[in-house]
Amino acid sequence: MLGSESMKSTFSIFASFLFLLHLTSGISGCASRDVRIGGTPETFQHQTVPLVGAFKADRYNFGNGLRLIVVENHSSPTFAYQTWFRVGSRDERKGRTGLAHLFEHMMFKGTKNHKEGEFDRILEEAGVEGENAFTSRDYTTYVQELPKDKLELIAKLESDRMINLIVDDKAFKTETEVVQNERRFRNENSPDGLMYQELFEVAFTRHPYHWPIIGYQEDLNRMTSEDARQFYRSYYSPNHATIVVTGDVDAEEVARTVQKYYGGIPAQPSPIRDIPAEPAQKVKRAKLMKLNIQVEKLLLGCHTPEVTHEDIPALSVLQAILSGGKSSRLHRALVETGISSSVESDDMDNKDPTLFIIGTNLQSGKRASQAEEVIRKELNRISREPIPELELERAKNKLNFGFYESMDGNSSRAYFIGHYEAVANNFEIGLAIHKRVQAVTALEAQSVARRYLGPENCSAIIGVKRNSK
Amino acid sequence: MTIRLLFAFIALSVSFGIRVHAAEIAFEPNSALPIVYVNVAIKAGYVTDPAGQSGLTNIMGEMLLRGTKTRVKEQIDLALDQMGARLEVETRAESVILRGAVLSSQLEPFLSLVDEILTQPVFPEDEIRKLKSEIISGIEEELGRDPSLASRRFIKFLFLDHPYGKPVLGTINDVRNLTRPAILGHYERLVRDPYILVVGTGNASEERIVRWTEALASKRKVSDAEALPKITRPTEAPQRRVLLVDKPERTQTQINIGQIGIKMTDDDFFPLYLGNYAFGGGSFLSRLMTEIRSKRGWSYGANSGFRFGTQPRSWLAHLFPASKDSPAALEFTLKMIQDLKDKGLSLEEYNFAKRSIVNGAGFMYDTPKKRVENKLLERTLDLPDGFMQSYAANIDRVSLERVNSSLKDYLRPDRLAIAVLGTAKNLKEPIARAAGVPVEKVEVVPYTQE
Repeated sequence: MLGSESMKSTFSIFASFLFLLHLTSGISGCASRDVRIGGTPETFQHQTVPLVGAFKADRYNFGNGLRLIVVENHSSPTFAYQTWFRVGSRDERKGRTGLAHLFEHMMFKGTKNHKEGEFDRILEEAGVEGENAFTSRDYTTYVQELPKDKLELIAKLESDRMINLIVDDKAFKTETEVVQNERRFRNENSPDGLMYQELFEVAFTRHPYHWPIIGYQEDLNRMTSEDARQFYRSYYSPNHATIVVTGDVDAEEVARTVQKYYGGIPAQPSPIRDIPAEPAQKVKRAKLMKLNIQVEKLLLGCHTPEVTHEDIPALSVLQAILSGGKSSRLHRALVETGISSSVESDDMDNKDPTLFIIGTNLQSGKRASQAEEVIRKELNRISREPIPELELERAKNKLNFGFYESMDGNSSRAYFIGHYEAVANNFEIGLAIHKRVQAVTALEAQSVARRYLGPENCSAIIGVKRNSK
Repeated sequence: MTIRLLFAFIALSVSFGIRVHAAEIAFEPNSALPIVYVNVAIKAGYVTDPAGQSGLTNIMGEMLLRGTKTRVKEQIDLALDQMGARLEVETRAESVILRGAVLSSQLEPFLSLVDEILTQPVFPEDEIRKLKSEIISGIEEELGRDPSLASRRFIKFLFLDHPYGKPVLGTINDVRNLTRPAILGHYERLVRDPYILVVGTGNASEERIVRWTEALASKRKVSDAEALPKITRPTEAPQRRVLLVDKPERTQTQINIGQIGIKMTDDDFFPLYLGNYAFGGGSFLSRLMTEIRSKRGWSYGANSGFRFGTQPRSWLAHLFPASKDSPAALEFTLKMIQDLKDKGLSLEEYNFAKRSIVNGAGFMYDTPKKRVENKLLERTLDLPDGFMQSYAANIDRVSLERVNSSLKDYLRPDRLAIAVLGTAKNLKEPIARAAGVPVEKVEVVPYTQE
């Protein structure tokens, strides 16, 4: 069994490599050169990549490992500034779950240069919009939008907290309380949150995607400020970060500014991450949860590969066929028939092999087990019967529209770039996936349904009313 | 003090208020991406639901998408998905908005379909039955989502019998009893050219959208539209009240505290907007966030804000502490509201709030999509043109004395409505004590009771 897992893993990496070659070979117009900016002794690589429509992206790779991507858009005097650290809950270890997210909260505390609260105060007085942060399984992100003349300000503040953060015991203790309340909000008192957590616990037995991003209560209780300091030293350095700036800026000026404020921050050795591969699932897993709900719920999660895998575009098309719009197969089979009130699916794209999730809320008096049967029947049908070309075209149109929407606005564009930089190491992969989606054939979509959505590869979480039999 | 208006130079190209027949249109061309957003708003929302027929406006709006004279629902769904388009209904208190978005290459068939949906709906009985079942299940599903459930119960509790207190989706009983003639009658009453507003942006010409609106409005033209009932100013109860929505096994409560709000056109609007910003209006450094979250770790979030209508709607503070901390957090928040009334803002708070709002005001209208939302708000709430772009200048003129006198006049801590969603057996007495209300006056209702 171990041997077969190892082989699968090797195959997966090889397939990903071929896919990457295939994807990036289709990108044209890239210009790469070494440049000197602002008369600094540092040289770094600069590359221009077409993005979408009239937009292009300028990529800068700095000597200390920091990456910067700039998309100019002069339609309004604002810009989005996002800092993406390539560390998330997948990088935690057992007993310290939730540390990446808890640390995200700590980043808003004081630094050697700014006491607690000053970071927020300075930015808010500058007119910041949407200042926030979020943690995922694969990354942690800090986001702001600002008026155009605040570039220097934000670069100064963000670079300061990349190197000068102070994690003191008192602030750590209070923030742990806040996170425990966030946990009550997102998980303990939310049926959807509880079911989602359960799905990942059931589907992943070894890989860190097993535990919730927000962590377990007992781990949050035992964590200390020293854990946070160690985490900071390990992961918050330029060589683990990508800065994405989109909006009314001059790309070269951004590069100069970033060089000025981040250029002196040294790279740190990357921690050795011994992340265990998830063994192949051989039989269907299921869990029944009795919850404080009035209508039943179902979550189904099937193992799928990492974002760079060649099957990802076909899985996107499959997702759109199954639940993209009201004419989609699952909507028609579940909602139009009166079994469910809603159905959704998500072809997650993660750094490591992940899940294709289907979720549905049942109508009054209907059973989740019935919905599961219907879903299984639809998945069998798509595996057996050819997908009509018109249906394939519909799915692609949906995805095409979704892609353009994801590029609308400075923050959205920055998110797209940052996300793929973090999970695929290169945002061009995201563009290539979009391009490749349009070429996916009906046979390919059918093939990934067979390969990944069979019952033996899936886990089902059924939520029922607490006093139901 | 004069603060530099950073966004004063933003060039705006939204057309304001072209009138076609009685309908209005505002469209901002934008060719950056190959997509077009088209919103058709009907300037009448769920406040027009007749007594005993809550949810009527919402179901009427949703039913528009479920069958026309030439297409059944399945054909509409297929046509939209084939275009890669999105078309959804959003029901608000004083408007229903058909929100559309489409690839620009598919604009013509999309406009044609939207026209058909708005002018030739047939409201098939079997689709009404199916939709009612989905809505009722949706209402039951919401019982599992504490924040949403708590908010709905608070609004009903605050507004007593006023139409602003009606539930958007309706009650299960009302929805169950809605009939096709009632839905059809509501359509005939509401979807009329004087109430139609088309607002959009994207890769299309303004002229094309104007022509389309003209054709649409002409089909729903009415020489003498039935006057919709005027909404009255809500009144509040003369004393502090506490509602405890009892839900078992909660480790956390949802606390909403509030009173009747103000209109955006009231003289006190900008002073109170600034005052609320400093108290709990979105800043991480607001009083609520500082005291409730940062210093005490009681709640992940703590904020306050106004909701607006053509009449005063609501002002409320919201927090969600652990059950064990809820009485203390409630008592402290009530004290903070009293302090805000009695002492107002400090000079430091005032300066900070003013600088933050003025410097960030441009983000209220920096993208075509935001300008579209602003236009929808202005037109559906009877606000002057350009109101949403006037914040910076208006806030800049507000003095600290004016803010504090407005807070003193407006806040009524002795009349607050307080709704707590939590497990009653552990909370009733401590919540009553924290709220300063006799325990027998605390109204306890099961969370499943409408």
